[in-house]
Amino acid sequence: MAQVLRRRGRIQVKLDAREREALLSIVDGLAPRLEASLATGPRAYDEPEMQAEYDRWVRPEVDRGREADIAVVRDSLSAGENTLPLTEAQALSWLRAFNHLRIAAGGVLGIEDDGWEEHIDPAAQRRPEYGILLALGYLQEELVAALQS
Amino acid sequence: MATTAAPSPVKSPERREHVTREFGWNVLVWNDPITLMSYVVLVFRRLFGYDHETATKLMLQVHNEGRAVVATQPREQAEVTVARLHAFGLQATLARP
Repeated sequence: MAQVLRRRGRIQVKLDAREREALLSIVDGLAPRLEASLATGPRAYDEPEMQAEYDRWVRPEVDRGREADIAVVRDSLSAGENTLPLTEAQALSWLRAFNHLRIAAGGVLGIEDDGWEEHIDPAAQRRPEYGILLALGYLQEELVAALQS
Repeated sequence: MATTAAPSPVKSPERREHVTREFGWNVLVWNDPITLMSYVVLVFRRLFGYDHETATKLMLQVHNEGRAVVATQPREQAEVTVARLHAFGLQATLARP
């Protein structure tokens, strides 16, 4: 089972080959969906003119940052090691990337309200995106705990 | 006899200086059903330097009330803050107070 530890100021993520392969598959499968899920969200302004300016000047930078975060995760997972040492900056990249991927997975499942963990229907629970939500959520919790320790 | 009204003294217009002051814009974070509470607390602490208690209080306000003002800043700075929150995958907007 995946583990996240903090040793001498460094974060260590322990993942076996099967877990790394599964995570890479999640990243590759959901990353293309991020564009679609972000097209409708998040807005910065209510005013259309200000939002248009934001979309023109600021959003591209946000998009590049998201792609860079996903690249950091891919690079770490592709290193072929069972123990992945992460700097704090890399751990934050993992967290950001996982959050975007979880939101994309939640969008696929049609989750719109709090409490979905208790009320999600059995058909949705059989979909791969449900497993992705839980797996990435577990890793996020572990990374947050390691960063705050 | 015609009478001529005495001219009333002309008042010099008062000089009023209109000071344009930029009031801060509110940075709001909105609830979403996917993002983890612990992650939101971490983001608030990292971005705003809040202690754990303040960050947790704001996170709970987002969760329970649907949104919270997490900072009030000049517009340009608030826009940068919102962009950073978007980079973390949080739903954030700017609004005039």
